[in-house]
Amino acid sequence: MIRLEQVTKTYKGSVAALKDADVDIQKGEFVFLVGPSGSGKSTFIRLLNKEETPEKGRIFVAGKDIGELSSWKVPFLRRNIGCVFQDFKLLSNKTVSENVAFALEVIGRPRHVIDTQVPAILDLVGLGHKATSLPNELSGGEQQRVSIARAFVNRPLILLADEPTGNLDPATSVGIMRLLDRINKTGTTVVMATHDRGIVDTMRRRVIELDRGSIVRDQSRGVYE
Amino acid sequence: MPKVDYALRETASNLTRNFTITLASIMTVVVSLALVGASLMLRQGVQNATRRWQGGIEFVVFMNPNASQDQTDTVKKSLDENPQIQRFTYVNQKASYVEFKQLFHDQPELIKSVNASDLPPSYRVVPVNKTEKNIDQLGKTYGSMPGVKEVSYASATIRAVQELSQRLTVGIIVVALVLLGAAILLILNTIRMAMFARRREIEVMKLVGATNWFIRVPFMLEGLIQGVAGALLAVLALASFKPFFQSWLPNRQDFPLVSGFALSGRELFTIYALMIFTGCLVGVVGAGVAVTRFLDV
Repeated sequence: MIRLEQVTKTYKGSVAALKDADVDIQKGEFVFLVGPSGSGKSTFIRLLNKEETPEKGRIFVAGKDIGELSSWKVPFLRRNIGCVFQDFKLLSNKTVSENVAFALEVIGRPRHVIDTQVPAILDLVGLGHKATSLPNELSGGEQQRVSIARAFVNRPLILLADEPTGNLDPATSVGIMRLLDRINKTGTTVVMATHDRGIVDTMRRRVIELDRGSIVRDQSRGVYE
Repeated sequence: MPKVDYALRETASNLTRNFTITLASIMTVVVSLALVGASLMLRQGVQNATRRWQGGIEFVVFMNPNASQDQTDTVKKSLDENPQIQRFTYVNQKASYVEFKQLFHDQPELIKSVNASDLPPSYRVVPVNKTEKNIDQLGKTYGSMPGVKEVSYASATIRAVQELSQRLTVGIIVVALVLLGAAILLILNTIRMAMFARRREIEVMKLVGATNWFIRVPFMLEGLIQGVAGALLAVLALASFKPFFQSWLPNRQDFPLVSGFALSGRELFTIYALMIFTGCLVGVVGAGVAVTRFLDV
């Protein structure tokens, strides 16, 4: 599903954010990216949906070399990839269901599809009863559920999560992880960057540890350290 | 079509969100295009009024309408052989009648009362030496030839009018171009502001895979609407002020030289169409620069 071959990315005037990375992730895997701040976790994630381009190496997503992708095709790559962030990135002037519907609207899905998919996904994340609330009327955990709903409503092949529990307390984080686990069980590949030792240690999934841009550990059913 | 629906909704909300700045760019377009239109009208009007006197023609030898072919040929031969004459054109009665109709197109009763055979054929002459003395001498020579009815001269007034209109046109066009440049920059910045106001939406749209054109179209439309709205208002302004300007012109009975200072419907249409086209262009260029410069994916 995802393959990196000798991928190197350096930001202007700094050390390598990612150095000669070789990674192979199968369909349906759940992968934790761990490592200190600045170790290259976010770069890893941003490379996968082509927000960044590597200066060396090749990246395959769903069987395609995304380095060869012309810029007008990038949006179609991103339709196969859902993204979740630490800061949710919800639109504050839209209600919960409008936020989720927006993701379908802007890729041209017809109204009747939107009208059936949105309530279904909100029920899945457990927010069916908050459909008409605005984001700032929700708790952090609920907002993250909305953002997961938005990322998943289009049934992407891959879900990328950049520290999704970074702003949440441990109890709420557990709920979010259960949700991501459920999404993973539907066959969606999940790649999650995190600092949360407790989550990694209880889930016991594949762990890729980065340190100053290099992969120092790649372990199935791993722990944080 | 959810896409069309979306684009129109977004455009409308962009236009109203920054209403004052939108108004400023529209007003700049109005003023600049009104100036362009007015100067084109002025130029065309002067050209129409002085149609006979273009291309350096200094005097016209009018033959009698009933002059014999022999007399006409003699004048032609003399003009041909005279080294003082740079070039000349012969305008026969039919061509004169066409021109007459153009000059007096707003006086149909006058046109009806005149036939082609009533009009004098003429030679329009461009002399080599354009000093007043020389022209006067040449005119007298041809005025005394048999079959010649009269010789009329491009008066200093006509030359002055032509020159003035030319300079005015250039001056106004320069000012208008500067204003059009300002309009493009204003539209560009209006759209940049609209994009800044929507930066969170744009970020999300890119993340979930909206195409570049889907993101751009509402902003392009916004620019286009500003340009076209400005152009339409400018056309409206010129159309409603035209009778007012025309009342400034001297009465044609008192001042026969500028008779026919008027524009045909077709000329007006061309000018208006040019203004609207320029308006579209200004809007699209401003918006196009904004979306390609500040909406990188």
